[in-house]
Amino acid sequence: MSYVFYPGCSLESTAKEYALSTMAVCAALGLNMPELPDWTCCGSTAAHQTDALLALALPAKNLAAAAGNTVAVACAACYSRLKLANHEIAGDTQSRARVADALGADYDGSTPVKHLLEILRDDVGFDAVDKRVSKPLSGLRVAAYYGCLLLRPPSIMRFDDAENPRLLDDVVAATGAQPVDWPAKTDCCGASYSITKTEIVLRLSRGILAAARDAGADCIVAACPLCQLNLDMRQRDIEKKQHERFGLPVFYFTQLLGLALGLPSRDLGLRSLLVDPLPLLSKKGLMSTETAVAR
Amino acid sequence: MTSGADTPVYPLTFDTLLQELDGATLSGCFQCQKCTSGCPVATGADVKPHEIIRLAQLGARQELLSSRFIWECTSCGTCAARCPQGVDLPAAIDALRRLSRDGGFVAEPAVAIFNDIFLDTVRQLGRVHELALMAAFKLRTRRLAQDVGKLPMMLRKGKFALMPRLVPGRAERQRLFHRARKQEEETP
Repeated sequence: MSYVFYPGCSLESTAKEYALSTMAVCAALGLNMPELPDWTCCGSTAAHQTDALLALALPAKNLAAAAGNTVAVACAACYSRLKLANHEIAGDTQSRARVADALGADYDGSTPVKHLLEILRDDVGFDAVDKRVSKPLSGLRVAAYYGCLLLRPPSIMRFDDAENPRLLDDVVAATGAQPVDWPAKTDCCGASYSITKTEIVLRLSRGILAAARDAGADCIVAACPLCQLNLDMRQRDIEKKQHERFGLPVFYFTQLLGLALGLPSRDLGLRSLLVDPLPLLSKKGLMSTETAVAR
Repeated sequence: MTSGADTPVYPLTFDTLLQELDGATLSGCFQCQKCTSGCPVATGADVKPHEIIRLAQLGARQELLSSRFIWECTSCGTCAARCPQGVDLPAAIDALRRLSRDGGFVAEPAVAIFNDIFLDTVRQLGRVHELALMAAFKLRTRRLAQDVGKLPMMLRKGKFALMPRLVPGRAERQRLFHRARKQEEETP
């Protein structure tokens, strides 16, 4: 299967370590992921809250440019917007016509969209990943956090079981780490309200951090730049406000996978995380001398 | 948007919204309140998710469009995923947000302002530029102090690009936004 990679805006800024570690892991697994040339924003929350046609036309512009390749996506929000646009355009002739008018070209909604986690499961396979793991993350207890956008609406996303997903847990297990059983894996972190209604994000993200801690997790792993940013950047704010301590590093799954594949930490952007993961990794004996030096 | 193939997005007026929702699923709601039970922001909501549906069944335009809740909903989709009757509440709330703006009923202007600035950035540059977005939002809402303490750290960690990257095809983007706007205006 041939892919074009759609990074999305977050991976150029707040989630640049997600982009970095994705590229490193794909190279190590032999996945060729050229970037979609001149891609534009999917419209994200702002578009679907404001203008229903823009929320279709912005994703469609990118999907039409993929020219028969499968669009590989890392950001859960982009993934959601691209798949929802495909569903609406392919299923409704009126929507398709309106999008065609806005774009100045017809797009039929048929470009396949896959998240990196699905590519790992379906196209690489966990057996192949297992064989490449050279530094298993033994003893690391990880809360696999899915959030909303990969899973819902389940009838359209068809990603995993919407109430008890396992895919990210399986990736954690493939790294040699131990996924913990916890109740908040599909809870909402507050996502796009991080700036506009911060109090909602602080409350919802607090619940997720507390659930991970109570389940005995050493860290959280995410597959969405909005979730990661809320749980990582807002963690200190929540600790101060609630007078409690979490100290939970929030990794992208590509960072943990990269560590297990023995990739150098400078290729994984570990230093960009705001809750410093290096004390945890040293404590667990998972930081090589190379990692210490690179720091 | 998250609606099925049988619920066209346009033309959108309050009456057509009710018609579409009713034609799809709205009339199926029997107030079991599963939506509200699973909603992460129902606590403290002025109108709770199951009440949104009831008000829509009653055609209570003003109460719906001026409700705070439609701007507090995180679009997490838990309500729709669990609804035994298949009511697509997130799609209804997106439509209510648009009608609320058109009618000048917005109870939480900050969210609408953020969305406008976000989309304007995309129209101009092709992609979001966080620093410019944050600066414009602070100026428009006078929330100058919010999160300012985070700026040095975010810059040090390389999480904010200083300069925006301009994606080619600006004229084409302007046309796309213009046509989308025009279609919306032409709907009755």
